[in-house]
This record gives sequence, C-alpha cells and structure tokens, in this order.
Amino acid sequence: MSLKVTIKRWNAVARWTWGDHVDGDVCGICQMPFEGCPPGVKFPGDGAPVVWGKCAHAFHLQCISQWLTSKNSCPICRREWEFESSQGGPPVSFFLLFQPTTHSFR
Amino acid sequence: MSSAARRRLVRDFRRLQSDPPSGVTAAPLDSNILVWQAVIFGPDDTPWEGGTFKLELSFTEDYPNKAPSVRFVTRIFHPNIYNDGQICLDILQNQWSPIYDISAILTSIQSLLSDPNPASPANSEASRLYCENRREYNRRVREVVEQSWLDEEDTTPAAAPAP
Ligand SMILES: [Zn+2]
Ligand SMILES: [Zn+2]
Repeated sequence: MSLKVTIKRWNAVARWTWGDHVDGDVCGICQMPFEGCPPGVKFPGDGAPVVWGKCAHAFHLQCISQWLTSKNSCPICRREWEFESSQGGPPVSFFLLFQPTTHSFR
Repeated sequence: MSSAARRRLVRDFRRLQSDPPSGVTAAPLDSNILVWQAVIFGPDDTPWEGGTFKLELSFTEDYPNKAPSVRFVTRIFHPNIYNDGQICLDILQNQWSPIYDISAILTSIQSLLSDPNPASPANSEASRLYCENRREYNRRVREVVEQSWLDEEDTTPAAAPAP
C-alpha cells in the first residue's frame, strides 16, 4: 500500500540573513535580531545594515554609531572601535524555503 | 510612539521574564517604563543571606547608551554603597557598555554585595571594618539583613537624606 501525495500549490518564501558570522543573531545594543529593525528604522534590510568592527563584533550601523558618539570602543570587547572596511563584513546569505500551502505557517 | 530606550526596556523586561536570573527581580512602574523597582536577594552562604534589598533604577531616553542611575532604597551597610543608597560600581560609571541589560546590572550588584572592592570606598566605616574587623562587619551586615525584613511591611523608603 502506498500513499500518494500531490502538492497542488506551493509558496516560495525567501529568508535572508546578514551571514552566519553574527553572534546569537541579535544586536547586543538594541537586542533586536540583525534581520529586524533597529530603533528608528521601519524596514529590515538595507535600511538597517549590520557592520563589523576589526575585532569581528557586529552591530546594527545605527546602534553602534549612536554608541560611538559617547565612547570610541567596542561594546563587547572594549577595544578601540575600527570599522572592518571589507564591504561591511561576511557576505549576505540567502536561502529559499519551499512551503506547501497545506501547512499553516506564519 | 515608542522611543529606542523604551523599546529596549521592553526587550529587557521580556528577557527577565523568559530567562529570570537567580536572586533578583525587577519590574517597571505601571505609569512609567523609565522607572523600575527591583529586589536583590542576599547571596546564600554569605552574611547577606536572607536579605531582601529594594532598589530603584531610573533610565533616560539615552539608554542603553547611558547607564541608568541605580540606588538602594533599603538601607545597606557596604564598603561601596553610600548612605543614601548610591552605588559605587564601575559598570554603572566609566565601564558602562550598551550591551548591558537590567539582568546584567542587577546580577553585578548582587555579586558586589558579597564581593566588595575596598579600594574604592563609598562608606569608610564599612570599608574599615571589612578590612580590619570582619567579625564586626558581618554583624553590621546581619543587622541590615534583619532590617530589610521589617522594610517589607513598611513601604516608606529607609534611605537617609543625601548629605
Ligand atoms: Zn541594534
Ligand atoms: Zn569587539
């Protein structure tokens, strides 16, 4: 006996991240996910870039910039902050999830 | 509209609820999320054991880029705590980092209780006794521990007026 499943329809859902170098996937300053919006930014993504220091610690650009106005040090390791100049860090990774409509998923 | 500081405080509150640190509790006032009341329980196996010490934290719109101001409401006898409850602790002053949250602040204060730093005294008598007469120091600490239970029923702040 075999069960035959026919998928009638599916939705493709793209998920993206800023790469897998990101500690815990949360910006330590605002505590929001790197893929989410830091304070004052309405849409994730280009409006909320993630930047790396030479020490390899990452934050939302908006969040670290605010902090640097009071102290020029990395909030995590306290080393003097220098932006990692190579195109803002590791490459952005994309992956696709195929999502059959039989599952309810939000 | 919620400001960055307020949004961060909501994250801190959720984190306190989902991953509560041992020996500390805190919640914002209903009327003002920038003001929090907290309780630190004296660490076990120290003279502070059993104490329930109330604190008040006030945040500004610059949080987390600026540390909150934190003071004990319950009277404390400790080398690094002033008579008015203000705390002399590096992470609340020049060693502040915007990655600290309310749990980190409270757990640091909790460990300061049993591990004072006599090199930066805020209460010279407590500092002297801590270094020279530990027995008397511990007795004075037990006094504030017992006093902290009485404060439970009496809601008026026990803090002395600022000098
Ligand atoms: Zn951020
Ligand atoms: Zn760093």
